[in-house]
Amino acid sequence: MTTAGNTLALIQTPRPAVRAAVSVLVALHLFAVFLGPWAMPPASDLAVESARIFQPYLDVLSLANGYRFFAPEPGPSHLVRYEVTLADGTLKTGEFPDRQVHRPRLLYHRYFMLSEFINTLGNPDAPGERAEAFAKGYARHLADEYDARSVRLFLRRHYVPRSGEVRQGMRLSDKALYDERPLAVYTRDES
Amino acid sequence: MKTLFDTLRAWIADLVDGWNRFWFAPADPATLGLIRIFAGAMLFYTHLVWSLDLGAFFGTGGWLPEGAVELLQKDSYSWSYLWWLQDSPALLWICHLLGLVVFAMLTVGLFSRVVSVLALFIALAYVHRVPGALFGLDQINVMLAMYLAVGPCGDAFSLDRWLAERRAGGPLPVRESWSANLAIRLIQIHLCIIYLFAGMAKLTGPAWWDGTAMWMALGNMEYQSLDMTWLAEWPRLINVMTHVTLFWELSYSALIWPRQTRGVVLALAIPLHMGIAICLGMVTFGLAMLIANVAFVPSPLIRRLWPKRGTEQGRGPAVAKSSTARPSATPNRGASSSKR
Repeated sequence: MTTAGNTLALIQTPRPAVRAAVSVLVALHLFAVFLGPWAMPPASDLAVESARIFQPYLDVLSLANGYRFFAPEPGPSHLVRYEVTLADGTLKTGEFPDRQVHRPRLLYHRYFMLSEFINTLGNPDAPGERAEAFAKGYARHLADEYDARSVRLFLRRHYVPRSGEVRQGMRLSDKALYDERPLAVYTRDES
Repeated sequence: MKTLFDTLRAWIADLVDGWNRFWFAPADPATLGLIRIFAGAMLFYTHLVWSLDLGAFFGTGGWLPEGAVELLQKDSYSWSYLWWLQDSPALLWICHLLGLVVFAMLTVGLFSRVVSVLALFIALAYVHRVPGALFGLDQINVMLAMYLAVGPCGDAFSLDRWLAERRAGGPLPVRESWSANLAIRLIQIHLCIIYLFAGMAKLTGPAWWDGTAMWMALGNMEYQSLDMTWLAEWPRLINVMTHVTLFWELSYSALIWPRQTRGVVLALAIPLHMGIAICLGMVTFGLAMLIANVAFVPSPLIRRLWPKRGTEQGRGPAVAKSSTARPSATPNRGASSSKR
């Protein structure tokens, strides 16, 4: 319906029964949204047990997120370095993420998350079986990609220099800021 | 004399009235429509980028093999149709392209009701398939897709609307609805919860207390997309940036609601998220957070800013009750958008 210069709109509000039903659903949903980050470790028994009740809902809608962006604090970053031995014995090396290879930036970030993810799984508090399975997955993928005989993976930790160190001339890529540990070894014969 | 019972009853009635006004007051779908355009475009781009390495992430023998993901999701109800497609590159590509079509349709608002639900379903499938390659962007993408599926996101700024007006032979009235309000309210509350926990989690980190956290983020070479190491010469500025970020996140859920502070809170969101976008190389995540913040921008303002077609020049979206309309449960105080 239109009148001179103005647009009239239909005002629709739900019936009381619909309002009541939607209100209950909204309350339950928002409680679930709250539970997602609240039940992330370290969490109280109350939070964990509450989240367990809502787990199917949290999982299906991907609501079990901590939202802990740069928390507890922005730390060092993690990279995966690899050594690939080809069938003829040639050794090839590489690293991910690699901003020269992984473009655009969002793709680079996907690779960055792969290397960060393996670090979170490698936490002593987390089950080693998972870290091993994912590391093997990375290695196997690289073996397929290069048609390689074997692959060795290393997790590199890149620390952030203090601002005072940068003032004194230290570069962000200074070798002293890196350390490295072996992550996985994969050979073709493995199943 | 008022009894305690009367006081309690009045208090509960007020509470119910406030609840109904908050959630069910009809709202102009302009805000939701604008979020649909931006979020749809972000979903499209996010999934378009997967195309560059589709087989490596979603195919057999990819980075995240089924066995490993199963271990991670052992006791989980996560589910993805992409597992069925991993053995067939052709099928994987067909479904991927169909997904992109859905996101494109969502962006332009074509068959919005259906594609908004499909977009959520597809976005969730991708998220559940590659748990090791996700970050904040994916969480915000899913959140926005979820609420776009709740509300009539195609009722404004959409091809659906344009086609309906064409069929009607002229401009149609703004279709205010309670579900548009509901969807926006859900985004708002969800966003408050995100910022609250983002802020609280930072309280356990010493760097957020000693004021060096922003340096640790900006000095991280893997994140860095703009060299900000010159800030090493300005430690007090780093302190300010760190403390403002933390206080802003912690107070967002309280200060975003009063009109007096909302503008400041929203204005601060821009440098904070654009800083993440430009300096830390997460353009998509920074923009996704800003898109979610659009939920607090009132519809009348969006209508004013939206480029008008020739016939709409100078016509505002004035709203009045129609004789065919059901009476509002609560007074329509200029629609909920003005209270956001």
